[in-house]
Amino acid sequence: MTELTQARTEERIREEAKKALASGEVRAVVGWCATRFDDRTRPFFAETAEECDLLVWNPYCINGTAKFALDDRYPDQKLALILRGCDSRAVNRMLRDKQLKRENLYLIGVVCDGKENPICEECQHKTPLVYDVLIGEPAKEQIYPERFRKIEEFEKLSPDERYAYWAAQYDKCIHCYACRNACPACNCIECYADQYRVGWQGKAADREQNQIYGLTRAFHVGDRCIECGECERVCPMHLPIMRQTRKMLKDINELFGSYEGGLSEEETPALGGFRLDDPDEFM
Amino acid sequence: MIISKLNLNKALQILNESAQVFVPAFEVIEDRAAKKSIREKKFLPYREDLEVELEGPNTVKPPKDILFPNVEKLYQYKAAGEDSYIRETLPEETPKILFGIRPCDMRSIKSMDKVFFTKNYVDSYYARRREYVTIVAIGCTETDRTCFCDSMGIDPNTAPGADVMMNRIEGEEAYLLHAQTEKGEALLKNLESLEGPSENVKAIRTDCTLKIRKIPDLDRKLAEMFEHPIWDKVTKGCIGCGTCTFVCPTCYCFDIDNENYGTEGCKYRCWDSCMFSDYTRMAGGANPRPTKKERLRNRYMHKLSYFNERYGETLCVGCGRCIANCPSHLDISEFIEKSSAVDPKAEVYTESIRAAQGKEA
Amino acid sequence: MVIGHTCTCDQNPLLPALCRVIDVKQETPDVQTYTIQTLDGKKPFSPLPGQLAMVSLLGVGEAMFSITAQGEDYIQSSIKRTGMLTDAFHEMQPGQEIGIRGPYGNHFPIEDLKGKDILFIGGGIGIAPVRSLIRYCLEHRADYGHLDILYGARSRKDICFKEDCLENWPKEPDTSVYITTDVPSDDWDGHVGFVPSYIEEVGFRPEGKKVVLCGPPIMIKLGAASLLKLGFAKEDVITTLELRMKCGIGKCGRCNIGSKFVCLDGPVFTLAELDELPDEK
Repeated sequence: MTELTQARTEERIREEAKKALASGEVRAVVGWCATRFDDRTRPFFAETAEECDLLVWNPYCINGTAKFALDDRYPDQKLALILRGCDSRAVNRMLRDKQLKRENLYLIGVVCDGKENPICEECQHKTPLVYDVLIGEPAKEQIYPERFRKIEEFEKLSPDERYAYWAAQYDKCIHCYACRNACPACNCIECYADQYRVGWQGKAADREQNQIYGLTRAFHVGDRCIECGECERVCPMHLPIMRQTRKMLKDINELFGSYEGGLSEEETPALGGFRLDDPDEFM
Repeated sequence: MIISKLNLNKALQILNESAQVFVPAFEVIEDRAAKKSIREKKFLPYREDLEVELEGPNTVKPPKDILFPNVEKLYQYKAAGEDSYIRETLPEETPKILFGIRPCDMRSIKSMDKVFFTKNYVDSYYARRREYVTIVAIGCTETDRTCFCDSMGIDPNTAPGADVMMNRIEGEEAYLLHAQTEKGEALLKNLESLEGPSENVKAIRTDCTLKIRKIPDLDRKLAEMFEHPIWDKVTKGCIGCGTCTFVCPTCYCFDIDNENYGTEGCKYRCWDSCMFSDYTRMAGGANPRPTKKERLRNRYMHKLSYFNERYGETLCVGCGRCIANCPSHLDISEFIEKSSAVDPKAEVYTESIRAAQGKEA
Repeated sequence: MVIGHTCTCDQNPLLPALCRVIDVKQETPDVQTYTIQTLDGKKPFSPLPGQLAMVSLLGVGEAMFSITAQGEDYIQSSIKRTGMLTDAFHEMQPGQEIGIRGPYGNHFPIEDLKGKDILFIGGGIGIAPVRSLIRYCLEHRADYGHLDILYGARSRKDICFKEDCLENWPKEPDTSVYITTDVPSDDWDGHVGFVPSYIEEVGFRPEGKKVVLCGPPIMIKLGAASLLKLGFAKEDVITTLELRMKCGIGKCGRCNIGSKFVCLDGPVFTLAELDELPDEK
């Protein structure tokens, strides 16, 4: 079989979406629909056969779909997701973190062709890693050799230069939490940052609070990051947020060997696991 | 008064002598690791080396923080028995000039004036800043694809309420300025030395890029649509972040909190977002707006209906910033069209192709 | 430039006045009443019945509370422990400095109630705002008709304002007091049962009568249903709402229900007025 054309893939997505809804087990299919701008799509919940015809597949399907499954953690019916490779890793992430149950999901995988999103150049898994049905021929996994290049460059700067760089970035931050809300690893039922009464962090968008937020989030998701780049894509102030988790991943790769997040439901995050027979006596 | 583009920098320098001038200009952050620089247009305090851009697309963030800062001290306190005090910390009395704001942003400031000056209480902090600000508005020459202010009843060529109105002159590299208030007259007096010849000049007129089909009484229609199924549909794609509120020129909601050091500290207010769960959550944990559906509905209703009822005008000025910046590409102008067209009593709402694409029929 | 505003300060409505807690009274295991005075021994401001005050525990936080009573030189607020902030309030000792600003909001319609019989219904800490109106009516006794007071608490020890409820009010002329507890206890020989069913049991008559109903949301909902069953009109049932508030002056945004702000247009609404607002309470 040859590679499916964009139009044929879109057709197949609509067919599978309709089939899923017709089965009676699925309440909605999350994919993308058109907007008034040709170069933009938006996440869309198709709930009827008619609405399935509004699902699109084009280079502008850039929003992650998986995180929407968290909107209803205890659903009566399954939610179907149209999944690209990155979305499938997001699903694995949330399954592994025990935030979603596999039986509540119906996964329509699509072999991705890369989107109009800079992060797609760095993609190593264009074929979904978990799915119930797959549209397209599995693509060969790729290695992106430049994965840690920017981090290496950044590490060459002096501590003062690095601090100045991030301080300027966090002066721009508007504290909108788009990065957190888009991130599949940010899947806590209630984020520490929303617990203002406890006082972990203030609500003021000043450098201090923004840095506390940025650092806390980076450490919390660092070893669970699936490198989908949503945090950077959604940032209205264009902060290079993924550089923080990439730095964590680089260190993890150097310390513990080759590691990527979200490749399977079983994997243990590098910093989140422990062994009872751990030779280190830090506990 | 006519001022040539060549004299613009000189004009800004003159104004900057007696007040702090804010202008739309590019801020550049060098990213040495990625070997690139990020340029962002925003209102910045004037410096001679700034790359000022009065025309071109609008700023990412509106100029509202100059009147209503993201974080603002309200008072300082000490809680220590006899030594206790509460000391008001009103903003300094420094004159500022907001130079080159667009008609949509001027209309936003007028809406904020209504909020902070009327309905029984005058907000002392806003009032102090407002008193010391002189506004020079500029008519648009170039509009973004997300600009729809004229569909919301705003003319992109005029800015009622601005102290000075400024428009590009047709066929010339010059601007036509005229004072609309006493403050504006005083400002222009400072610039008399730069005045150019003014014969038969005509100001450029611009139209918005995006024309939307909005019914005139949408505010009243929406007031009857609180339980309408359209809300389930349009809010599904939202991720519940605060981007739309923080880039919106009319979102004025705030939180009040304190920063404490031992027995001393300060009370401050900061921007808040109705999109956040904490915004309405009560002490016992109950939340009248528990999910993003209720929160986004409140936001749209506030912009398009509640504010009209309370203050007699819409709170969406059509600047398009929320459309341009929404991570999920939600589009309030599309919602306006859909809700204008929909049957207010419908029990089911299904997206149709035309509505979903938001294209002209 | 401050229009129709009666706050402690002349100018800045967000600036609290430094005041002192001169007395702390333990009403129930989780409710305390604070008597508050300015540092020079005066009343911070003169609220109307039902109005609110923003009370600031400096360095900890502030929250809006109803003012339950006032005298020549003090105001009183009763606070129930429900979270971190109110826990901190309950640590206060007499002599503690606090910030206070207000009064905020509308008030019970003391003019409209003139010449009418009034049925006061309170549940739990909801008796706090009701008490401000009961005290007002008793102080202006000739202006008002027969007063019925029905109050429900969880158990005897949870009855707020025990002196008023159990001793003072029952002795007032032309006043009937009905106290009920949710659960029986050895030290309680009065009525046991929930407020809504007690309303029906007593069978209040709607003629010439206005009702003031305050309590937890579920009690308001079921209590209102009981009153409607007895023939009361929604226009004649007055209640108070509680939402999260920060500024108290209708600007910060969060306490809106539709286009109305609870801190400014409320907290007092009739059931008929609430019906006009979106269901987001």
